[in-house]
Amino acid sequence: MSIPNSMRVGPFLPTVLVKKKYLIFYILIIWLSAIPLFIEFWIYYRFVWTPIRPTFFFIYLPLLLLPMYLTLAFFGMFWAKFFIIFVNWLHKPCEGVFLRHPSDKDYRYWSLRNTIKRWPFWVCHRFPFPFLDNVCFKVFNVKTKFSNSLFEGWVDTEFISFGNNVVCGQGAIIQSSVIIGNLLIIRKTIIKDDVRIGSHAIVMPGTHIGNRSVLAANSVTTVGQVLKDDWIYVGIPCKEFKQNWFFEDGLEDKLGVVEDVDALLGKYAKIITKVRWTENLTLKERKSIKRQLKEEEERRWERSKKMDNEKREDIF
Amino acid sequence: MLEGSLENGSKVEEIPKEVVLKEEMNLQFGWYILIFIVNYYLSWLLAGFIFFSYFLIEFMPNFLQVTSFITLFTELKSILALLLMPLVIIACYVIRLIFVAITTRIFWRITERISPSKDGVIPRNIKSKAADYYHLRSFMLKYGKNLFIKGMFPWLSNWFFNFVGSSKIGKGTTLEESVASDKHLTVGKNTYMGVNATLASHLVQAIFGNIQYFRMQVGDNVTMAAMNQIGPGSEIMDGSYLLPLASTNRHSVLKGGHNYYFGIPLRKIFTKKTMNYLGITEEDLEKNENMEAYLEKIKANPSKKVKKVKKDQKKKIEPSKIITTEVVKEQQKDKIDVERLTKEDLAIDFTTSSAISRINIKFLMVYIPILWLAGLIISIFWYEYTKGVWDFSNQTSLINSIFNNISTIIFLPIAIFIMIYLFILGVLFFSKLLLIFINMIHLPKEGIFLAEVGNPDYDFWMFRTELKKIALWLLRNSPIPWADVVALKWFGVNMDSSSHLYDAWCDVDFVSIGRKVLIGQGSTIMSSMVIGKYLIIKRVIFDDYVMVGGHTTIAPGTIMGHDSVIGAISSTTYNRILDPNYIYFGIPAIPLKENKYAEERRDVVIKRLVDESKKMEETHEVNIDDNKKKFIKTGDDE
Repeated sequence: MSIPNSMRVGPFLPTVLVKKKYLIFYILIIWLSAIPLFIEFWIYYRFVWTPIRPTFFFIYLPLLLLPMYLTLAFFGMFWAKFFIIFVNWLHKPCEGVFLRHPSDKDYRYWSLRNTIKRWPFWVCHRFPFPFLDNVCFKVFNVKTKFSNSLFEGWVDTEFISFGNNVVCGQGAIIQSSVIIGNLLIIRKTIIKDDVRIGSHAIVMPGTHIGNRSVLAANSVTTVGQVLKDDWIYVGIPCKEFKQNWFFEDGLEDKLGVVEDVDALLGKYAKIITKVRWTENLTLKERKSIKRQLKEEEERRWERSKKMDNEKREDIF
Repeated sequence: MLEGSLENGSKVEEIPKEVVLKEEMNLQFGWYILIFIVNYYLSWLLAGFIFFSYFLIEFMPNFLQVTSFITLFTELKSILALLLMPLVIIACYVIRLIFVAITTRIFWRITERISPSKDGVIPRNIKSKAADYYHLRSFMLKYGKNLFIKGMFPWLSNWFFNFVGSSKIGKGTTLEESVASDKHLTVGKNTYMGVNATLASHLVQAIFGNIQYFRMQVGDNVTMAAMNQIGPGSEIMDGSYLLPLASTNRHSVLKGGHNYYFGIPLRKIFTKKTMNYLGITEEDLEKNENMEAYLEKIKANPSKKVKKVKKDQKKKIEPSKIITTEVVKEQQKDKIDVERLTKEDLAIDFTTSSAISRINIKFLMVYIPILWLAGLIISIFWYEYTKGVWDFSNQTSLINSIFNNISTIIFLPIAIFIMIYLFILGVLFFSKLLLIFINMIHLPKEGIFLAEVGNPDYDFWMFRTELKKIALWLLRNSPIPWADVVALKWFGVNMDSSSHLYDAWCDVDFVSIGRKVLIGQGSTIMSSMVIGKYLIIKRVIFDDYVMVGGHTTIAPGTIMGHDSVIGAISSTTYNRILDPNYIYFGIPAIPLKENKYAEERRDVVIKRLVDESKKMEETHEVNIDDNKKKFIKTGDDE
């Protein structure tokens, strides 16, 4: 029901800090966004406080806390957006493959952007209702709708766009940037309408997921993979499993249970596991075996051609 | 605690050697609570004192009690009081973090002196001092870890782990949040552990099995993209790059050296596949391997190189036009005849998710009274608690007033603790009342329903979910997250309080859980699932002594027999029945072997050399008290 405390979900802002001075921005945003709170509190105090018996002060105090929290969130968003515009003006964020090294400008700015956005996203995500998250996404130019539920998964905050009714499963990860070795790969991820991403599934940067597609639980896409409309994808990396008929009407009584578990396991085995060599062969040996197989096939092909020709000669 | 274990020991001695012991683990909740209270109390004390003295001495007279709005911004004193307030709060927060780290360090050192943590298998079916202290240590670390890594300054968490001494983390390393990766690690420099990448130095094998507890070695410049599960005792050498979800068993050795790994269990992948999976060119791979040389090249002639790279990228990345054309085709398609679909087409042989956080705004209005009423309770409590402080301004001298209010300051941490739980109890109570009312209107039931607004079953399911969520969310983010058993029981999970699932995502309808069940970290237990247009609700049943691994997905209708185990990163399908006493693993789960950890030899460790795909056997001493070694099967017996 609720995501456990120990598991990190929510807007994904990597904690990579290339330079310590980026923290100045972070603390500045916290500072600037907290000041309006106290002014609000002052107004409340002025109006409601009576020194002899402050009954109303304490009765309405819980009701004050909600707007105070919202103020913190919105001012956090405002100032972070202000700094993000400034930083983006200095260096436009772009897609591509960058080096994970402080000398790379894109990597530095990627880290800076994440540090700046951290405060509003953190505040919004600590709020138990999902709508603040959605507002925060919209403020930072992620194309999304309020009908999407991305709250229980983990979604990157830039270079990503969602359609309608997207559901991101519990603990699923939707990335638009990934660190592999010394490389930082940033690609735009596009997710269309009615897509359902299973729990613990991972969407790598640059994935396009078509309308009404399903990425099953514990599956991974590869960078730049295109998932077709109306299909269910399973596997590591994911492959077509079957067509998604579950959007048709009148299936309540027809949805079936798996009866033959062994057959299902066989089906999955085809998708997930590949042909493995039983013996421990080195790469060279494997290659030579493959070559032999290929040559044999070619020989057979030629032989069949010959047979064909001979037959024809016979007929004529 | 010690006496209890000795008693058990003397009883046990009469049992002949062939009989395998199966004692239930009991956690020392007394010690847990003591450690927690000390930690909590000390952490709030100084921070609370500083905050309140600032509030009362500076903020109250100079800001709050200023009557005119304009003078707030014209007088230097009031402006300073306002501007300094956020900074004081941040400072108090950091002081609190530091105090948590110090107390955790002291307790950690004490327990290390009594029973040092060392590599080895800790049997889980026999009570022992080693196991007790292992549990105690993992508990005491958890509070600090959550506070640091989920807090405002996650960048301090590396310092926390190093300071406490639970693990050694090198410079320039980033550990993102995850369910584990907290203790018994050695991590090199400049590594990156992605989101939910779990470096598990401890691993539980079945309820009556073992705890594998081995040090993890991670070299320099290792990166894990996301969700990697690495078993205990693994050695990951310099320059191994793990793609998302690449996971491995315990005692794996990764050679590294600019190699890429992928899959479950992870395997080395070669250049062609790497380029395919990551969408990069050979040039990028070259860059990755010889970064230093590349950087020097750029330095020599900066402008040309950079521009070239950028041009290439622009060429590569074009939004694919395939999708848009397909959409047009899709719209022209006719409706499909439902009758023609085969059984196989409609079988639910895959698992998705049940997360719904989209909800009608109307429903959300319910929260305002709930939160207000619960807030009122703590408001009254706070008023009573601070009665003496409010007429502060009338008192003569500062020191005198602080002295008068010393009891308020001393008991402040306890008051905060009580307030948190009063609030949560209030929310729990009022949501339960509302839930009873809603269930009277519409009884929750199992079945397959249309997942569209307007269908009563779907609407009420969403409403119930949303109603239960808030209390659970609060409890799980409170200082004692394992108290959520109370909320789960209240909201209708049929479970025993000896089971733990506070580290897992769990549906709170139609779930039955037996005794001593262990649900792994980050796993999902769903009794409801949305597939296409349909909502499926079916009861999930766990019998006694069941174990579920980390990051595992349990689909609705799953029934797990007693003593059965499902491994990490596996998933079950709809209506699956797992046999008792068996170990399952995979996507979907397949039976691996019988659950016989207690009967097997425990001193054998199987090392897995990933790059050569070879296995080696090694022996290792079992970590258990000396007087109980005779109950364990080792190589000497055979």
